[in-house]
Amino acid sequence: MDSPANAWKQWLAENGPRLLLFARGWSNSRQDAEDLVQEAILRMWHHQEDKGNSPPDLPLVFSTIRFCGLNHHRSESRRRKREESVIYLNDFQDVWLDPVLEEDEEAVILRDAVQNLSQKLREVVVMKFWGGLTFLQISETLAISPNTAASRYRYALEQLGHELRRIKEDRHASA
Amino acid sequence: MQAPDPIETILARLMPPALSENGQLEIDEMIDDLAGPQVASISSGPSLARWMIGGGIAAVAAGLLAALPLLETVSKDPTVAAHKMPVGMVLLSESDRIESMTDEGWQESADGSAMHALRVSAVEENSVRDEESGMVVQISEPREEIFLTPISAF
Repeated sequence: MDSPANAWKQWLAENGPRLLLFARGWSNSRQDAEDLVQEAILRMWHHQEDKGNSPPDLPLVFSTIRFCGLNHHRSESRRRKREESVIYLNDFQDVWLDPVLEEDEEAVILRDAVQNLSQKLREVVVMKFWGGLTFLQISETLAISPNTAASRYRYALEQLGHELRRIKEDRHASA
Repeated sequence: MQAPDPIETILARLMPPALSENGQLEIDEMIDDLAGPQVASISSGPSLARWMIGGGIAAVAAGLLAALPLLETVSKDPTVAAHKMPVGMVLLSESDRIESMTDEGWQESADGSAMHALRVSAVEENSVRDEESGMVVQISEPREEIFLTPISAF
């Protein structure tokens, strides 16, 4: 039988990208997001000790990342108040999603649009689309009703579609 | 079967990147550390001597538990935290486990702005090892917190 460590590593290799993507919504950089994933996995390890040390269910990990993110958000707010003079620069190479195809204009537009969705819409899209969770699982993770989760998902798709059309029209007009 | 939304078709052409090599390595090492030596159980043997040692450890653990609230924040780094332990006791690990999260809905803050409240029940657990006997004791401390986040969009 596989050791718990191997089972967890295999689980991480399979789910790491989707956890990292979700963590991006709660952090300022890729490095912070990876730290968030690591913290969540540490918490999950102790949580699973009573359950035979098996890797955890994804909805629970999403919840934990969210909890860790909330905690970081609090300390980050306090830190920012102390360091108001510091200017934060964006790393333009630091993207959340990679297009599968090269020069896929639509995918690149949507990638940026996903990042710019409001947090409550983005969380649902990430958990549903890249996390593979059902609306019921998402509702349990976010403490909302399944109908609300489904509505947010549909609304997010509408917003993404609207943004895609708008940018394409702008580019077409300026070409 | 329902046809996919055209937006979903485009989203399918986007994939989340993998963890960085360094990040993956750090987590793998952490998993190895966590899966390391098994924690000994105090009640695992009938030996009288073991029970006596266990009693001593439990007394020390109770003392530590009483002293813990005095420490403002225990460092997440066990090597740093170990310095705060009494001589002969080593803090092996500490964790902050979430037991449950309850959405408390919207609340009004002191300045009248809307806040989203989330009640979290968590348990802090510390594993402490007595250097002399090698026995490991776990100390649990449950607590409840409410997180308030400003609501900026309706």
